[in-house]
Amino acid sequence: MRAAAIPAPAWPAMPPGVIAVLFPLGLLALWSVSARFGWFPPQILPSPTEVGTALLDLARNGDLARNSGISLLRVVEGFTAGSFLGLLLGIAMGLSPKTEDYVKPLFTAFAQVPTLGWIPFLMLLVGIGEPLKILVIAKAAFVPVTLNTLAGIRAVPSIYVEVGALFRFSRWQLLRKVVLPAAIPPIFTGLRYGLTHAWNALVAVELLASAEGLGYLLVWGRQMFWLDTMMGAMVIIGIVGFTFDRIMAVIESRLQRWRLA
Amino acid sequence: MARQGHLQIDRVSKQFRVSGAPLHVLDAVDLSVAPGEFLTIVGASGCGKSTLLRLIAGLDTAFQGNVILDGQRVTAPSLDRGLVFQEPRLFPWLTVAQNVALGLLNAGLGKAARDRAVSEHIVLVGLDGFQDAYPHQLSGGMAQRAAIARGLVNRPGVLLLDEPLGALDALTRARLQDELQRIWAAEGITMLLVTHDVEEAVYLGDRVVVMAPRPGRIAAVFDVPHPRPRDRSSPALAGLRDQVLAALEATTSGPPPTGMVHIASRPALAEQVFLPAE
Repeated sequence: MRAAAIPAPAWPAMPPGVIAVLFPLGLLALWSVSARFGWFPPQILPSPTEVGTALLDLARNGDLARNSGISLLRVVEGFTAGSFLGLLLGIAMGLSPKTEDYVKPLFTAFAQVPTLGWIPFLMLLVGIGEPLKILVIAKAAFVPVTLNTLAGIRAVPSIYVEVGALFRFSRWQLLRKVVLPAAIPPIFTGLRYGLTHAWNALVAVELLASAEGLGYLLVWGRQMFWLDTMMGAMVIIGIVGFTFDRIMAVIESRLQRWRLA
Repeated sequence: MARQGHLQIDRVSKQFRVSGAPLHVLDAVDLSVAPGEFLTIVGASGCGKSTLLRLIAGLDTAFQGNVILDGQRVTAPSLDRGLVFQEPRLFPWLTVAQNVALGLLNAGLGKAARDRAVSEHIVLVGLDGFQDAYPHQLSGGMAQRAAIARGLVNRPGVLLLDEPLGALDALTRARLQDELQRIWAAEGITMLLVTHDVEEAVYLGDRVVVMAPRPGRIAAVFDVPHPRPRDRSSPALAGLRDQVLAALEATTSGPPPTGMVHIASRPALAEQVFLPAE
């Protein structure tokens, strides 16, 4: 409220949608200008038009759809497995302090090793095929989902739990009717983080050990010195990640309709 | 069939440990509540009045003595004892009707009977038309009405009310007091209302119990013989209010009267006045 007392500079009022695209558009303009005036050699920073053309080529010859499809499938599989296990473990630890006592130290140590740090070990264990990618992505999603689910369940107000006790709710009823609905917002935050981490891990693992997928497209572009292809792949990775996050946000607000209206 | 809702509190004591030292929240409380009685409890903060309600509700079972309802010792919550908290405690993700229906989850009713009970109780508390509203769309008074409907939906023999009107404005408060009285008369159930408002206690109660803090105990019990409907501004009620207020003030001024014998800790006297209708 105090901020409102400070006279705001007389910016023209703009809808948030416009503000959101202003900065990216500015960057794009700067990029075009730098390409036009040759501030960077074109081998290092190709112009936006070249990147656009490369993307169109990739789209036309089917490389884009094929590699995107492979990446999406991997992320869906890994994220589903990792977040499912994360939900289970988070709920188990959230409901039972004893389980937390047993599992939490190991889990923390496990989580402290970065996702990328698991790749060499997993390569020895399962090779460099699909299981490696799925495991790495699952691990990336598993950690934030577990932690946020645990925190969410612990933060359920005891006054709600007491209402359940008053009406003689069983453990299952308490979980279904009180604990899970109350913990939905933090659990969803965990799922959103988990999906972002899963997507990042996917690109990383494809960079290191893959012959297809969007991450591979990146490496391939760099190795061939097709920097327009490489940057095109980066753009697609960014757009897909952004879209994932938006989808999760929409589901989240649907699940919490009671907060709005 | 004898009327249900005969509540006996038999030498109930309760201690908390506060940083190692025992704190006597309730000390040998004796009280007998007749079926269908409207009993109000006033007391300074820390006198254990809310704790007493929680013990009767069965939410807290670590205490000495007995709470006996219709011959059964209270050891856990029961659908036969409703409790309305100080704050409405509605689940924000459920509508009014869903919140009320939650009380019936373990009542063993069919869906049709459940729906009927829910809408009946929503009408009873005057929330008709707000079944599908979410708690954040309700005013404080409406939310508390919904909470009362949830407390009543199992048709409990005893309804415990823990300062449910404390946070409301004067007008809403007066209106809900009358609603509570109307519901009490219509349902014929035993009601225990904890409040810090002496006027409310005298206006609503058949008896007013004054509790004293440290240790929490009953200091005095007043009969309110005035017929209903009562007139808030009647001089007789005002006189009684002043008496209760004086008794309440005596509990907080001066050194704690440790060896004091109070009438309500003599069950014989309480029984004499309120014989359970068997």
